[in-house]
Amino acid sequence: MREVPLNPRPALSQGLNSARVNVASIRQLTVRYGSFTALSDFTVDIPVGCVGLLGPNGAGKTTLIKALLGLVDPASGSGEVLGADIRREGRTVRQRVGLMPEQDCHLPGMTAVGFVAYAGELAGMPAAQALRRAHEVLEYCQLGEARYRNVETFSTGMKQKIKLAQALVHGPRLLLLDEPTNGLDPHGREEMLELVRDVSHGKDVSVLVSSHILPDIERTCDQVIVVTQGRLVAQGMIKDLKRLEGQPVDIELKDPNGAFLNALLTAGVTLLGEIPLGYRVQAPGRPEETAALAFAAARSTGAQIRRFHVATRSLEEAFLEVIR
Amino acid sequence: MIVLDHASRWYGQVIGLNDVTCTIPVGITALLGENGAGKSTMMRMITGQLRPTTGTVRIFGLDPFANPEVFRRLGYCPEIDQFYEWMTGRQFVQHLARLQGYSAAEASRRTDETIARVGMADRADRRLQGYSKGMRQRIKLAQALLTDPDVILLDEPLNGLDPVGRREFMDLLAHLALEGKSIVVSSHILFEVEQMTRSILLLHRGRLLATGDLRAIRGLIDRHPHRIRLETPDPRAAASYLANLPFVLEILFDPSGEALEVRTREPDQFYNAVADLAVLHGIPIHGLESPDNNLESVFRYLVNA
Amino acid sequence: MSEPNLTEPSPPDTGPVTGPIADLSYRTYDGPLSPPRARWWAIARAASRQTFAKRGFWILTVLGAWYYLVMIVIVFFVEQVLSASPQPTNRAMDFFTRIVWKDQFLHGLSFAQLIFMIVTLMAGAGAIANDNRANALLVYLSKPCTKGDYIIGKWIGVFMPVFVAMALPTFVFYLYGAMTFQSYGFLTADPWMGPKLLALLPLMAAFQTSLILGFSSCFNQGRLAGFAYAGLYMLTNLFTQLMVGVFMNYVSRDNTAIDQVPATVKTFFYASIDGLNIGLTKAILGTHGSPYFGIPSRIPSMRAPELLPVLALIIALSVGATVLAWRRVRAVEVVG
Repeated sequence: MREVPLNPRPALSQGLNSARVNVASIRQLTVRYGSFTALSDFTVDIPVGCVGLLGPNGAGKTTLIKALLGLVDPASGSGEVLGADIRREGRTVRQRVGLMPEQDCHLPGMTAVGFVAYAGELAGMPAAQALRRAHEVLEYCQLGEARYRNVETFSTGMKQKIKLAQALVHGPRLLLLDEPTNGLDPHGREEMLELVRDVSHGKDVSVLVSSHILPDIERTCDQVIVVTQGRLVAQGMIKDLKRLEGQPVDIELKDPNGAFLNALLTAGVTLLGEIPLGYRVQAPGRPEETAALAFAAARSTGAQIRRFHVATRSLEEAFLEVIR
Repeated sequence: MIVLDHASRWYGQVIGLNDVTCTIPVGITALLGENGAGKSTMMRMITGQLRPTTGTVRIFGLDPFANPEVFRRLGYCPEIDQFYEWMTGRQFVQHLARLQGYSAAEASRRTDETIARVGMADRADRRLQGYSKGMRQRIKLAQALLTDPDVILLDEPLNGLDPVGRREFMDLLAHLALEGKSIVVSSHILFEVEQMTRSILLLHRGRLLATGDLRAIRGLIDRHPHRIRLETPDPRAAASYLANLPFVLEILFDPSGEALEVRTREPDQFYNAVADLAVLHGIPIHGLESPDNNLESVFRYLVNA
Repeated sequence: MSEPNLTEPSPPDTGPVTGPIADLSYRTYDGPLSPPRARWWAIARAASRQTFAKRGFWILTVLGAWYYLVMIVIVFFVEQVLSASPQPTNRAMDFFTRIVWKDQFLHGLSFAQLIFMIVTLMAGAGAIANDNRANALLVYLSKPCTKGDYIIGKWIGVFMPVFVAMALPTFVFYLYGAMTFQSYGFLTADPWMGPKLLALLPLMAAFQTSLILGFSSCFNQGRLAGFAYAGLYMLTNLFTQLMVGVFMNYVSRDNTAIDQVPATVKTFFYASIDGLNIGLTKAILGTHGSPYFGIPSRIPSMRAPELLPVLALIIALSVGATVLAWRRVRAVEVVG
């Protein structure tokens, strides 16, 4: 039996993902349910790392996830996930991918550890490995204390975590998370997002998060894919999507002050618009030069600046604009 | 409008609400708390489904329990997602209108009105079975608005809505609030709640933890001084000036070397000091903000205390 | 670029720092994984394990052997009588010449029908019903499993306990008989008795399994599926009891009047779940039945049915119920 070193972080160079740039590629995929076309000539490359999947309800996200699991029978097109063809090698795909579904699901009458170990066996792990790994994964998902309890007695937060655990047990290199913070209170959301962030960075696991809650996506993902009406409409790094041209600056005051605005305008700053309790402005120079002007104006007019930062679009704004 | 006076409720040994006293005014109020904190219990007491074990609940000065007077002026959007699936949206709302006691003609009129109000006029004649989550939420709101109530309670109304739907629903609620209604929204998604209102009501394990304006509450949390982050290419120089100020409690240098974070109990004085830094001492500033001046941080501070 | 083979463990780590504090953060699994072929065995094993773990199952299995136990006691007493007296009485000798050993299996299985029904409920009522409620298929389908794996796995997982409950007492009695009743013609009366039993028992178990799975797939609660199955069992049982009543009416008055029994009664005599089982047993074992416990009686038993119709009916019902389960198992939208 191989001796496991005390510090068993595997070197990234041996990971499945390090040799590749994309975890999945879909080419001209068309999926129809009867007369309804869910995905239309869909092409996307899902890169390694943590990617967010955004889109309005009914846009085809569900179908895309099903396709990435090898569960659809497309009308045309092809795709591969982690090297396995989604049309012909569905089982192989699902052995390499983990799914955390949105809805409540579990196996009746089992303890947490039994459930997760069984999930591992279903994925092809030998029974002993499955049990060992189930314990490990439950610890990681912070369910260590409840591992011998019947899953049916779990609270909402615990149910979400165990769904994550059963997705991780067989060591997938791609994790699909569907609304991972569904039904969680702020504390639970915090924990879940931490877990997602942790597992997707530096652990040789790529994660695709589908969620409507954009701050969650911002917190965990570095890039996003936007789908609407069965097509891919945008893809890119979040910070690129949020960037505004020309580096405008948001200035927020303690109390509104018209004299302050006048002082700014006199100093050569252009007003772009108003924001709650403040202004969005454009200055000719770099942000710190704008800052110097702004603070000077504030001192001279008795205003107090409470927030000052380079303006970005919120991910929500970027999203709404893209799907219009 | 809604007044709770030492209201408590327990189920056997399990406490639902423990000695809660508060007043819910006009406008949008956010009802917050972890799972099991008592939000549902409170909602059910306000909507007259439960009686407080001790204490009183009064809506418009009346006891809501089994009180048709109160029901007529109150609308409730529960969290549950079960309808008569075979009905169309319009039929469902109409059915409930009739249950309210309206005549057929009146029920029909009101149904049309509320359905138009929630923006479902073109889709109300499809079966509920085929509705998306967003459409269901709107139908729930439509039935709550039937009697043109003065108080509306919504339990997780934004659940399952995509960002577009969410925005539209929030605008709808904002409009209703402007009409002088009292709207209570219970939600876990704090950043959205923050966009809707600053007036919060926080429950924790059955007890009332905080109520009122978010900013005011933040100012009162003594245990957690304000955190203010200053982005500057020369944090050490900035720090050397700030260190002399008596109201600066802590200075933390960001590992990136491009920022520092200050803790202070006197944010007002500190912000003035920042202006001095920029103008008098010539420290270049890239950014200034307070990372814990939001609902999520306030929630965490209060609940974990 | 060639893909690293997923089923081989990766080579030992060369990079990481080894130090006194272990790194317990998440690590991916690099251990062995069976190739993604059929998973029905894992499902079957889990399902049957749940039944075998129940104490009630084993108690019922033992109870199902009650007829055999009684027979062993009776034979023992008759032997005592024979050995006690120097001149064996006619009655005692008669006992051993009259007794038809394969009929003892018939009776043993007939009398245990109710117990088999309860075991079937225990093993299978919740098999699919509970999964429906818990939305378990979502979990199965997100692994390298298909609906086929699921149904086959569940079927075998229910079949195994049901078969064990039926076969264990029978097998034990057969062994006992083969050892102690040899002199009474246990093995020679019908040399094919053993193989016939071996053919019969799986068929009976398969029939029960298919039916209960069919019912289980139609409900959201194991209890309801159980009630439905038990209800069908009892109703059809009631019906055939009526037939038995009419039959007895004719033959108790005149022991040879078996041909006068109306054709309807003859056709529907075995028209119930337990009736089909008993009919199948008679047909396969090739016996028309004989008095219980070897106690002489002139009342004849109903004749065995034709093998082919009974077999065909049982197979048709089993296949039908399984197909029903297949179609009812809601391949829920895997996501959303």
